[in-house]
Amino acid sequence: MSNPPAGRCILKSVALIPKERYELSMLAKAPEERGSLPVLDRKEPVSSPSVGADGKSAPSKICWGHYEVAFGVFVAVTLLNLWLQKWIGYQAIALVYLLAIVVLALFVGRGPILLGTALTAIGWNFVFAPPRFSFHVASFYDKMMSATYFVVALTIGQLTTRLRAQREAEMRSRLLAESERLGRTLLNSVSHELRTPIAAIIGAANGLRASGQLTEVQGKFAMEIEAAGARLNRLVQSLLSAARVQAGQLRPKLDWCDLSELIRIALRGGEALTPSHSIAVRIAPGLPLLKMDFVLMEHALANLVANAATHTPPGTPVEISACIEGAHWILEVADRGPGLPPEEVERIFDLFHRTPTAKPGGTGLGLAIVKGFVEAQGGQVTAANRSGGGAVFRIYMPVTDAPDLPDETL
Amino acid sequence: MTITAHQPPISVLVIDDEPQIQRLLTITLEANGYQVATAGTGQEGVACAAQRRHDIIILDLGLPDLAGIDVLKQLRSWTQTPVVILTVQDEEADKIEALDTGADDYITKPFNAGELLARLRATLRRADKGRLEEPVFRTGDLAVDFASRRVTRNGLPVKLTATEYALLRLFIQHSGKVLTHRHILREVWGPEHELKTQYLRVYVTRLRDRLEPDPASPTLFLTEPGVGYRFVEA
Repeated sequence: MSNPPAGRCILKSVALIPKERYELSMLAKAPEERGSLPVLDRKEPVSSPSVGADGKSAPSKICWGHYEVAFGVFVAVTLLNLWLQKWIGYQAIALVYLLAIVVLALFVGRGPILLGTALTAIGWNFVFAPPRFSFHVASFYDKMMSATYFVVALTIGQLTTRLRAQREAEMRSRLLAESERLGRTLLNSVSHELRTPIAAIIGAANGLRASGQLTEVQGKFAMEIEAAGARLNRLVQSLLSAARVQAGQLRPKLDWCDLSELIRIALRGGEALTPSHSIAVRIAPGLPLLKMDFVLMEHALANLVANAATHTPPGTPVEISACIEGAHWILEVADRGPGLPPEEVERIFDLFHRTPTAKPGGTGLGLAIVKGFVEAQGGQVTAANRSGGGAVFRIYMPVTDAPDLPDETL
Repeated sequence: MTITAHQPPISVLVIDDEPQIQRLLTITLEANGYQVATAGTGQEGVACAAQRRHDIIILDLGLPDLAGIDVLKQLRSWTQTPVVILTVQDEEADKIEALDTGADDYITKPFNAGELLARLRATLRRADKGRLEEPVFRTGDLAVDFASRRVTRNGLPVKLTATEYALLRLFIQHSGKVLTHRHILREVWGPEHELKTQYLRVYVTRLRDRLEPDPASPTLFLTEPGVGYRFVEA
């Protein structure tokens, strides 16, 4: 079997992204700027194109240059018509004006078109319609002509600008969708390129140990390689999660979930990480099914628990509780550790922010991911100090209608 | 390391475009007595699968450009050879799509050798057993008599509603396999309810309460976060 080319090169995908649209600003900015720093920084506003319900452009800033253009076109066409009138009648001259308005509408907005229409209607009336050089129009036929010209020119002008605005809005939203797709592709290739060697390192180190042919020392080395690989994998996972949050690539799937199940799953992988802390779970009795994205919420909770375990001395009790308060349900992780310095409470969820007292080894990613994951689901997360000592983190999620449940009894 | 002698080795087809993962899987599997063929592209994989029969296929979903999914669709159009998907974290949607397209199971990278081998063995065992159904299913203290629809624990009858029984039966029929939420809902409640995950949450909790030795830490009805449930025999 032939070896495939080492295709799927990460650089290929990077090259697909217009440089000006994204910048990997993580490394470029000074540390003090890293507050809630986008990893994938979008220079363009992420908001959808400003298209109203009827497809018209929302009011944008007035471009006075276009009014000047409209005026210029009026003057030029009037001069042209003065020359043309030797050969064509004054009524056909109105058609030349109309043509000018239609062409103008391809390039300028509705305001300048209104100006152009008014100017040409007045110009025709004043300069060309008999009696000439007076605003008085002699025949009923010419009065009709003047009024009809104004309405027709205005309507055609407005329709043309509207069509143009629609097309531009479509282009903009297509471009936006495309740049989002590229962003996703980039994240996925980075993810793939980082995780493949990690998978090989962990798999090979694990295979070495499983082979059962190692001396004791060799076995210990293999175990260290595996543990380091696992740590690297968690780090990459966190970085990618943070990048997904910052790039707006999360697609939460809100579904009815059982909080006790969620807490159990979140703690499942955590036992190895928090062996020195006892975790107590308290769930309000009769808590109904609640809407959330199971996977995102599980990560958020696991990160909060890991955070509590990292920043409190061994043996510190950590409590997880869940309840409903008014229009929100609350998931809380509380500890009896040293608590948070008051000035840190505001910034604690910022990306790469670490409290000055934090032990070395952390990344400042965990809580930023919690915030990103929770907010993506329409919730909020807060940090505070507890009365009696310790820190408390609360996830607030809106309570929606109760789920429609089947009723079946024995 | 156990190499089962006197039996033809189990043949595995690995479809993965990463040479490093190909090599890792080959070394691991060959060391455990499997016979390994590799393919570097989806097309090559489909061709390999058509050329000779393999007992099981490991397919990397790779980038979620659906290339892996397309390979799976092509394979499933003519073969029922078990397919185990290789995937990474955060790709629940891809896992669900692969399972709904006919994948038998998935392994999340990075994996360890023990986990990989256990998954393959379980998948092979299920494929081997086929659709033959024992009249009475037993695991741990649980017994289900399909003929009389009797469910007992330690010989004592357990009362289940019709829906609970249908759900339990579905789990047992696919013992060891991940079932997606949608799949279960369609099978038990019907296609018009296939998005009502809340039904499933309620009924799995009920089954756990009645049948799990310790409902607070389930060992029979396992949650596969974001994907579905897996029934595991004790």
